[in-house]
Amino acid sequence: MSVPFIKVEDLIFTYDDEDSIDKHYVLKNLSLEIEKGSFVCVLGHNGSGKSTFAKLLNMILSPDEGKIYIDGFDITNPDITEDDLFEIRRKVGMVFQNPDNQLVATIVEEDVAFGPENLGVEPSEIRRRVDSALETVGMSEYATHAPHRLSGGQKQRVAIAGIIAMQPECIIFDESTAMLDPQGRAEVMNTIAKLNSEQGITVIHITHNMDEAVKADRVVVINEGEIFLDGTPKEVFSNVEKLRRAGLDVPQVTELFYDLSHHGVDLPSDILCEEEGAEILSAWLKK
Amino acid sequence: MLKDITLGQFFPGKSFLHKIDPRTKIISALLYIVAVFLCDSIMSFIILLVATLILIAMSGVPIKIIVKGLKPLIFILAFTTIYNVFFYKGDTPPLVHWKFITIYAEGLVFAVIMALRIICLLAGSSVLMTYTTSPIMLTDGIERLLSPLNKIKAPVHEFAMMMSIALRFIPTLVEETDKIMSAQKARGADFNSGGLIKRARALIPVLVPLFISAFRRASDLAVAMECRCYRGGSGRTRMTKTRFGARDAFLFIAILLLGTAIVLSNIYSYYFPIWLT
Amino acid sequence: MTKLKLVDVNYTYSEGTPFRKDALRNINIEIEDNCITGLIGHTGCGKSTLVQLLNGLLFPTSGEVMFDGNNIKEKGYDLKTLRHKVGLVFQYPEYQLFEDTVYDDIAFGPKNMGLPKDEIDRRIKEAALFVGLEERYFEVSPFDLSGGQKRRVAIAGIMAMDPDVLILDEPAAGLDPIGREEILGGIYSYQRKRKNAVVIVSHSMEDMARYSDKLIVMNDGEVFMQGNCREVFSETDKLLSVGLDVPQITKFMRALKSKGIDVRTDIFTVDEAKAEILSKMGGCGNA
Repeated sequence: MSVPFIKVEDLIFTYDDEDSIDKHYVLKNLSLEIEKGSFVCVLGHNGSGKSTFAKLLNMILSPDEGKIYIDGFDITNPDITEDDLFEIRRKVGMVFQNPDNQLVATIVEEDVAFGPENLGVEPSEIRRRVDSALETVGMSEYATHAPHRLSGGQKQRVAIAGIIAMQPECIIFDESTAMLDPQGRAEVMNTIAKLNSEQGITVIHITHNMDEAVKADRVVVINEGEIFLDGTPKEVFSNVEKLRRAGLDVPQVTELFYDLSHHGVDLPSDILCEEEGAEILSAWLKK
Repeated sequence: MLKDITLGQFFPGKSFLHKIDPRTKIISALLYIVAVFLCDSIMSFIILLVATLILIAMSGVPIKIIVKGLKPLIFILAFTTIYNVFFYKGDTPPLVHWKFITIYAEGLVFAVIMALRIICLLAGSSVLMTYTTSPIMLTDGIERLLSPLNKIKAPVHEFAMMMSIALRFIPTLVEETDKIMSAQKARGADFNSGGLIKRARALIPVLVPLFISAFRRASDLAVAMECRCYRGGSGRTRMTKTRFGARDAFLFIAILLLGTAIVLSNIYSYYFPIWLT
Repeated sequence: MTKLKLVDVNYTYSEGTPFRKDALRNINIEIEDNCITGLIGHTGCGKSTLVQLLNGLLFPTSGEVMFDGNNIKEKGYDLKTLRHKVGLVFQYPEYQLFEDTVYDDIAFGPKNMGLPKDEIDRRIKEAALFVGLEERYFEVSPFDLSGGQKRRVAIAGIMAMDPDVLILDEPAAGLDPIGREEILGGIYSYQRKRKNAVVIVSHSMEDMARYSDKLIVMNDGEVFMQGNCREVFSETDKLLSVGLDVPQITKFMRALKSKGIDVRTDIFTVDEAKAEILSKMGGCGNA
């Protein structure tokens, strides 16, 4: 197997609290590898360190200790040049939480063009990339609209288009669905899944919403700055008690199966969706 | 409401004026404004009006939108008109003289001239610039026009960037102000009673959250821009690469001809006072 | 008892302009004492307009808003007192904090009501208790608190006004599962103790199923359904037809029924589902 796209070794990140002498650990000894083309969901409650982790991956923050390799390149190297840094940020794009605060331009297509323009891409190529990025996120018909008139989900899709236009290999979604309504959330999640499956973009989706984690290939739960659980959605969600201790929820059906198995009913505990659950339970009841 | 202001807003389209280089439009607008102030005779005003209507036609912006955009000016227009009608002192015998009201013919004419000037000035220059040029293109144009100043280390690019970001966030902050005011009203805040000082104090619960939010947005945006590889003006390209072409030359010559026509008509036609007497 | 009553209410934005938009049509609802009413619908369905009609921030284009039997459009109606009696917590209320200390910020509303100092003090302490805010935070600047704690301060600020009707627009938006639970649970116990009218606007069917007594479902500016949770959630098809969701557990019970198991489908909490399934298993004799 080849080198993992992202490799994180013994990451430590602290911040100094004025009121206490102790260092406040946000991340302690976090190690993780992420394969190219995978769809990883990072779950954790507010303050678990999941967002800090995301911001370290493209050097918005830099770790106190530990190493981060992107595509085999050590980005924590102190001798890193500015050009290297910009290449990292191009490769690892980031979409943030607040849809309003990441759009720069007053016209949708000009906003999408912002990234490639910064990279010094040829005008005709920018035009091509902007059109195809807007097409990918399904916002072509809004190309000449003003961003402030769009819905939250639409704004986030424009922000995603702005990142795609830089042709990244990986996109980090830093709680990009947290401020959206269910409809906007669905729009963004569909776009994310499409980018991953059709364009092979590595996706790291940071969230506290377990419904979204169900769609990922792999779920990593961060708690108290450490990796708490790591596996496929089924593996992770079968740990109902552990997840609750980490301040997270599980899907209602998973909870039901978990509760039933506590009543001595012999049922699997890794059920995520209602159809699958109904299938198994009906078979069991008909026995 | 502040949200309803359309003057100065971009009207997306593909008209003749939309396709012209922003630099040409900025310079043309400046020349046009000079031409407006040069108008001094009936003939020149007729020329100006026709030229402005042609410009509007070339922009593809519906007249309705332009008229709506002029609405906020109604007070200024009304004020100047009333002022000129009632307070202009002419040399001819007054048309009306009743108690303290004296109206001269020159006053009437002058009022019409001023109103026409203001209307043409705003309609023409906004059609040339803001309606047909997106804010980014406009600031881009300003940036490139001012680029010689880079030689003396003036932060031209930064200035243009600041302007376009400000334009992007004005609607967002206006909306936010509305929201915060409603929220504080729901907490019993009263913005409409009391003296000046009391009213100013009542704004604190609005201004503090607004500033905090603006700073938060600014810092979020800065991070987002860095993530999109922004590092100032050097090495940056633009999606819409504008260059001067036949269209630009055409507009340029047309505006120069307009200016010349106005000056000539001023010289060869009667001035208003002569015509009046 | 009915506190607020809307009779044939219509609301139109920008009447007489090309931007004219019907936000609300023919609204007839009653908000009762001693009841938590959940208000559900898509973004843009008119919910936000509706809540602003309830405390006189907006007035209906036609129709009447009655508070305690009095028409608020009537000449000489004391709107200021109405706003004291109908408390409104906007979405993301933490962005309205402005005072130097948490205590002063909660005091802003009660102070505007002209209450005596000791009464204000009593109410602040009571409200802080409801939202789970410890007194040691009183002298802290609200801007030093975490997002979830800021939200509590903002909600306490309205609770301290001791309104007859408390309206909260998406009080749990953007919070993680623990945060949601704490905020909604706090509001629930506040209402059970005060026995006043509480209106919660939400997108989450699961949350509404747990915390509300009565539901009003809005769609496209109209009241689409209203009734208690069981009545509303038993009409799953109707909800799904306008793109609204039902709790996952309700969908699960329906799936189970379609597989030929005779179970009730008007179930909307995990506990109920568990009881229902265990009773079916009772027939099998092993649970």
